[in-house]
Amino acid sequence: MTVLNVLPRGLAALVIAAATAGVMTTAPAAFAQGTPQKGGTLVMVVQPEPPTLAAYQSTAGPVGQVTTKVYEGLLEYDFSLKPIPGLAASWSVSPDSKTVTFKLQPGVKFHDGKPFTSADVQFSVMEVLKKVHPRGLNTFRAVTAVETPDPLTAVFRLSEPAPYLMMALSSYESPMIPKHIFGTGDITRHPNANIPIGTGPYKFVEWQRGQFMRFDRNPEYRKAGLPHLDRIVARFIADGGTRAAVLETQEAHIAGFNAVPPVDVKRLQALPHIAVTQKGYEMQAPIVQLDFNTTRPPFDDVKVRQAVAYAIDRKFVIDNIWFGFGRPATGPINSNFKANGLFTTDVKNYNVANGVELANKLLDEAGKPRGSDGTRFEIVHDVTPYGEEWRRFGEYTAQQLGKVGIKVTLRYEDVPSWLRRIYTNYDFQLTSNWIQTLADPVIGVHRLYHSASIKPGTVFVNSSRWSTPETDDLMNRAAVEGDAAKRAALYHDFQKRVVEASPLVFVHELEFITVHNKKLNNFPLSPLGLYSSFDQVWLSK
Amino acid sequence: MAWNQSAAYALRRLLQAVPTVLVIVALNFLLLKLAPGDAADVLAGEAGSATPEFMAQLREKFGLDQPLGVQLLLYMKQIVTFDLGYSFRHSMPVAELILSRLGPTLLLMVTVFGLAVGAGALLGSLAARNLNRWQDNMISMLTVLAYATPVFWAGLMLIVLFSIKLGWFPTSGMQQVAAFHEGFAKVRDIAHHLVLPAFTLTMFYMALYTRLMRASVLEQSSMDYVVTARAKGLTERQIARRHVFRNALLPVVTMAGVQAGAMLGGAVVVETVFAWPGLGLLAYESLFARDLNLLLGIFFVSTCLVVIVNLIVDLAYSFLDPRIELR
Repeated sequence: MTVLNVLPRGLAALVIAAATAGVMTTAPAAFAQGTPQKGGTLVMVVQPEPPTLAAYQSTAGPVGQVTTKVYEGLLEYDFSLKPIPGLAASWSVSPDSKTVTFKLQPGVKFHDGKPFTSADVQFSVMEVLKKVHPRGLNTFRAVTAVETPDPLTAVFRLSEPAPYLMMALSSYESPMIPKHIFGTGDITRHPNANIPIGTGPYKFVEWQRGQFMRFDRNPEYRKAGLPHLDRIVARFIADGGTRAAVLETQEAHIAGFNAVPPVDVKRLQALPHIAVTQKGYEMQAPIVQLDFNTTRPPFDDVKVRQAVAYAIDRKFVIDNIWFGFGRPATGPINSNFKANGLFTTDVKNYNVANGVELANKLLDEAGKPRGSDGTRFEIVHDVTPYGEEWRRFGEYTAQQLGKVGIKVTLRYEDVPSWLRRIYTNYDFQLTSNWIQTLADPVIGVHRLYHSASIKPGTVFVNSSRWSTPETDDLMNRAAVEGDAAKRAALYHDFQKRVVEASPLVFVHELEFITVHNKKLNNFPLSPLGLYSSFDQVWLSK
Repeated sequence: MAWNQSAAYALRRLLQAVPTVLVIVALNFLLLKLAPGDAADVLAGEAGSATPEFMAQLREKFGLDQPLGVQLLLYMKQIVTFDLGYSFRHSMPVAELILSRLGPTLLLMVTVFGLAVGAGALLGSLAARNLNRWQDNMISMLTVLAYATPVFWAGLMLIVLFSIKLGWFPTSGMQQVAAFHEGFAKVRDIAHHLVLPAFTLTMFYMALYTRLMRASVLEQSSMDYVVTARAKGLTERQIARRHVFRNALLPVVTMAGVQAGAMLGGAVVVETVFAWPGLGLLAYESLFARDLNLLLGIFFVSTCLVVIVNLIVDLAYSFLDPRIELR
């Protein structure tokens, strides 16, 4: 039952490392230079295998990595997190911010030859995304109607201004699907769920379960001369050591989202044909955190929470557990949002050299003196069940909190048990966690701090159950604030208050790693990285 | 006549198995329900976020909002009509999903079992006939080594040696995905990919059968009928082939029957290391996804397979040793 859990992955990787050091002799190809060459098959490793291709009702990472080659969104985004044209050629927002008009690209066809029109936009948003998409209910909550005055115009009517909406229209977040296919039958178990038909640069061909998916070039793609590649094949390999091996033997060209374990990355990086990048995850913005149960002693006391926040040495965690891939986190909003001004460093700083000393002082003040054996109190720390590094992180936490007199027992469970414990039963004291704060705070951040997000049974929402009327109000106002500067000011105030109260420890901003062959060019071209269409990616011969 | 008798026997055994299978299905269902968390938790967990309305909607769709008894009854009703249900996680019927993975599993396991039982029986009798000589010592040492080596480690080492260093075999998968071979080229391609995983698993199982066969041959060699045969003037070779081998094979066949039950799930490790698209991995993944329909479907198929394999083993007994009657 737990065979895979007992495989010592690190050991296996180490052995491979020792046995293969210096074996590769392939000459490196020119990297991202010169004119694109046509043709070729790109092999990407996707981990784990996507359970489904119904991108309109699953936002699971692996699903997005493949379906974004087939489906497109109304918008794409550049590295400053600004929207750029996708299926929408242009757009305008009314002065009261309650009407958004999209002009669609003319002449766009679905893979079955039928034209893409505003009726498909209306159907996708109102009938599908707003009803069955995990985040769509929230993203499109302000959208009351999508009007279609002509086939190339879609008008979104909003009940209130929704600035976050413009950040959520990528192919990954809000794919546009054909009404003439999905409009009939039950959308939640549609026969075309796993036979996607979109407008993207690649057509879905086949899915051999447990093995691969095949996508062939769409010759009718709306951007003339694109895509460069003839074909994309996504492969599924359950073992981390083997995933590293296929990149090494050049059987595959690219693997992202840490599909190659960080422990292997350093070794692969040294090979002449391998490149490593942390770019292309800017719209995921994951933060590693420790969640407190703030409704129960000892963590109902803000001083105790702050003490834990001081005790954790962020640099040590990044360097030793995540192999240097990460940045210290300062608060609830990821530093990626510097690009649009929402992020601020003007908050209480827990990342200080004398953290342990300050933590001890705070615990003394909180009335938690050390006992005769040096222990102040005991807690159980639930380790989030998403892989080896979290176990190491749990062990580190136990050791580090031991220094300030908190005795920690670690508890390991599988994913469903852990989710049930944290988000339904709230039967925990401290748990490690990582949350994608996504493309806008309304979509990714509010859920962790708003009182309305304390919902037993719903996962990855407010599990610490901390909230204040002031922060609720700041979030409510920021959600509908159309003016960028005012909105940023609201979020700066919000960050300050949350960090002060420390309902969770902001440890670091996780950096995912993409490992790819140097023959691969033009990647990543957008903050969506592996969730982008790959229409401009090309392979050197 | 004998054929008719066998057929009637097989049919009766199959009918008798029906209640057993149903009880197993019900037990599986209840046991799996004991695990905390459900498919909606996992799906929403993978999505990274979900609204409460979405979660409630999922549970309603999966039938998880019904009382346990009702869920069990509904499931049993499906099973008796051979409807394995729908996997919402995979957006496709369970039966289709299992069928698509059954082929690779059977290919790997039949290859491995053929090789392991065949080679094991030969090596075992070779070792027994050369008791305490260098052949015996060599075989015994190799089998202990093969049996004691962890399968995942052996697999990774074979990848390092034959894929990365020598480049003789592909690291993983069942086909060369960039090529899409057809016809004979496809068969060759699959065979090429089959070598490493099959070899890894065969090593392990063969060791077991070699040990068993060796002990069994040694036991049979001291039987009275061997002395009689020798007194009759038969050569050692004739005795070994006609008399001892067939009798000694019985415990090996019994063991193979028992192990065939574990066949479907037993290859998880090899499937993982070599990315072989088998059922074991699918079962493993569906357990952690709490995809009960799929998991129960896989259990149901393996239960049926165990029943059938046991039947085949019993038929094989009477073939190997005609004194055993089918009743």
